[in-house]
Amino acid sequence: MNAVTTENDQYDAWLASACLPPAKVQELLGIYGDSRHVYEAFVRKEPEINEILSPGISILLERNCTQENLTRFNVLMKKYCISVLRFSDPEYPESLRLIDDSPAILFCQGNPECMKSTRILSMVGSRAASYAGQKAAQRIAEELSRHHVSIVSGLACGIDASAHQGCLDGGSSTIAVMGCGLDKVYPKDNEALRDRILAGNGLIVSEYAPGEKPSGWHFPFRNRIIAGLSRALILVEARIRSGSMTSVQHALNQGKDVFVYPGDPDSEFFEGNHQLLREGGIYFTGTEDILEDLHWLDNPPAVRQNIGCSAEREASTPEEAAVLHALEKGKMGFEQLLNATGLNPSILMSTLTILQISGVTEALPGKQYQLKH
Amino acid sequence: MNEMITRLLSFGVSGVNGFPVNVEVFAISGMPGMEIIGLPDTSIRESKDRVNAAIINSGKNMNPMRITVNLAPADMKKEGPSFDLPIAVAIMISLRQVVPAPDIDLTGAAFFGELGLDGQVRPVNGVLPMVISAKENGVKTVILPEKNAQEAACIQGLRILPVCHLKQVIFWLEGKEEIQPQEQVPFETLKNEAMIPVDMSQIKGQKGARRAIEVAAAGGHNMLMVGVPGSGKTMLARCIPGILPPMSFEEALETTRIHSICGKLPSGSGLMVTRPFCAPHHNASVASLIGGGQDARPGEVSLAHNGVLFLDELPEFSRGALEALRQPLEDGIVSVARVKRQAMYQSSFMLVAAMNPCPCGYFGSNRRTCRCTPPEIRRYLDRVSGPLLDRIDLQIEVDSVPVSEINESQPSESSAAVAERVGRARILQLERYQGTGKHCNAQLTNTDVKKYCSPSSEAVRLLNSAVDTLRLSMRAYQRILKVARTIADLSGEETVSSVHIAEAIQYRELDQKYWR
Repeated sequence: MNAVTTENDQYDAWLASACLPPAKVQELLGIYGDSRHVYEAFVRKEPEINEILSPGISILLERNCTQENLTRFNVLMKKYCISVLRFSDPEYPESLRLIDDSPAILFCQGNPECMKSTRILSMVGSRAASYAGQKAAQRIAEELSRHHVSIVSGLACGIDASAHQGCLDGGSSTIAVMGCGLDKVYPKDNEALRDRILAGNGLIVSEYAPGEKPSGWHFPFRNRIIAGLSRALILVEARIRSGSMTSVQHALNQGKDVFVYPGDPDSEFFEGNHQLLREGGIYFTGTEDILEDLHWLDNPPAVRQNIGCSAEREASTPEEAAVLHALEKGKMGFEQLLNATGLNPSILMSTLTILQISGVTEALPGKQYQLKH
Repeated sequence: MNEMITRLLSFGVSGVNGFPVNVEVFAISGMPGMEIIGLPDTSIRESKDRVNAAIINSGKNMNPMRITVNLAPADMKKEGPSFDLPIAVAIMISLRQVVPAPDIDLTGAAFFGELGLDGQVRPVNGVLPMVISAKENGVKTVILPEKNAQEAACIQGLRILPVCHLKQVIFWLEGKEEIQPQEQVPFETLKNEAMIPVDMSQIKGQKGARRAIEVAAAGGHNMLMVGVPGSGKTMLARCIPGILPPMSFEEALETTRIHSICGKLPSGSGLMVTRPFCAPHHNASVASLIGGGQDARPGEVSLAHNGVLFLDELPEFSRGALEALRQPLEDGIVSVARVKRQAMYQSSFMLVAAMNPCPCGYFGSNRRTCRCTPPEIRRYLDRVSGPLLDRIDLQIEVDSVPVSEINESQPSESSAAVAERVGRARILQLERYQGTGKHCNAQLTNTDVKKYCSPSSEAVRLLNSAVDTLRLSMRAYQRILKVARTIADLSGEETVSSVHIAEAIQYRELDQKYWR
């Protein structure tokens, strides 16, 4: 996973640090071949380059073109093992070549091969997400991950973090597209998650040069990469005016399917989802249906049956059987379980503990219990 | 000269203890007036006007003389109006308005009581500690306000003379009229009057929570209930004093003392036999909770001594107030230090706390959707600090009761039946910890847990796998063993088996769901 740094990297970082429109960067690279030559032309103040660049952009490039800055880029890239992927490189992911505004330069941390997987789905949603939304994101990601689907998301808190976690739990590698330089983690709380992603052979990727701060306008723009890398997008939870809607918009513009998790119809957390469903978003009915729609299902019947009969197998006492039987109808509160099983409270409690330890059931907030899938 | 000095015995209160105070009166001809010395507080200084009016309205004269009243020992601060009565009596004797009959022994008598302008004797605070101190100081007769008589009635070996007017005292001194002594009330008869404030038969459903409070009461464990608004957390908490074993005489005395000096005893009531239930509001200050103020008064933790301290809306309490609970929770005693006063108050109580699972209250509810985001919930939960949680053995969730069960006519088990099981478990514990100074499982330290809670090998296996799969912390491990000990005691078994451990693990469910 060690990043192979080449001597041109610092010039790439310099070029990216000005945050030019991708088309402009493509144009420059088209004329000069690579970023090093762009740099040399710029430093010599050649008239042709000044024709291409507006005065505002020149100021931005000027600011970072000292030797100290180049050294700083180099140090940061070495320290954080950041490698560079250019549009011209053969390793550059095909999926990103096909979108508008393909990033000309990508900074990668981790395993860039992830982007080449044929099974990539993006998951997006609110940062201030509900508990239900986060649980759903985690579960969906985990189930997809078990079918070797990589999840791409934005490493924000809320739904993004849950999606990454779920994907890691399911065993596949996950891709995080950042809105800042890779020397930073935004939000800082997710540092541990970033390390987990890297440890899980995943990838952190950004079009922003190391040292770039997480400015607000970066995020909607990087969402085109999230949508671009994936085959389809799943919207887990969004309010009406949510940043996640920009990802949806990018996905639709790129001609990709958008699956919308329905959520609680009464919950304000899911208002954006409901609006999108009214406008014709694809109703999310389960991970298997997505897999089927995308022709990614390996052997459909086997999976379903496994879940169905796990409960029957694990019961070793009559009490456990009674509890499992009651829970087959769905999640239940403690008092309901007491009535359904007819056990006395202390016996029911110890039975639940044993079932929890053996991983057959799980406890949910609100004194609810359910079978573990 | 000496004849003009009259000495009477009275008592003051410092902390929870009474101390003897000699009321000395010296009257001499000169500029008429009265001076009270010996570190009196404002209410004592004002007593000269009450005493003056009361004496005149009882048919005696205030001769125009210069009167000095000294409250000895002179270096201890005295508070409260309970010295009115001894001052008035001593002045009347000094002024020769009253000549005590020869058979009255004033050296073995103590007086306390507040006077009204018309001469009536009003009740005062702190009678119980004063009477106890009187007995220790060899007093034979105590003259006190009628409304405080019940409070003193439980102390054996004293003649308690309740009075309601200064005239009664005058006639008694002059030998004209006897005062009917207060009858002794033995503790055993009082005990039967113990009230059950809320009976458990009034609780519908909530079988899980009922079991949890039974276990908590049986081991004296602190408890935290988390549940949606209206799930009945307060009601459950109010049941706990009723299922705890009845107070012993010593416990009743300790608790009554504290209530007596705070003036929290209902007028005319005797020794407290019902365990106290204190539920301070969540805006309570540190001083009101722990004790304090200028005169270092006891706080709610001491008023709840031998009873239940109920903190509803736990996260809404100020951080300082919650952290200050740690010392009384650990030591069962609280030291209150102020510039002018220092006092130690007993505060061995069972902490019962209740809170919502999130700011809006409906996290995890299947009846209403929660409006909070996980970071909001985390911030809310984090207001309860780890060290405090650490001292709470049972942490349970309380679910709201479905309407169908509220209307159910079948009565639930009564408090008396639960109290009997709790009592049996407590007796087992008392026998086990005889001579160690401990009396319930909640007081076990980590080393004690090793000694007394050794589980069967099967139970150890279960607990170890629970620690792995449910990701329990080491401190949860110790708590589970303690609670399992109590569960075993409830079923009368000597060894802690895997069933007990498995049930005890359920009382740590919040660790897994909320404070991860």
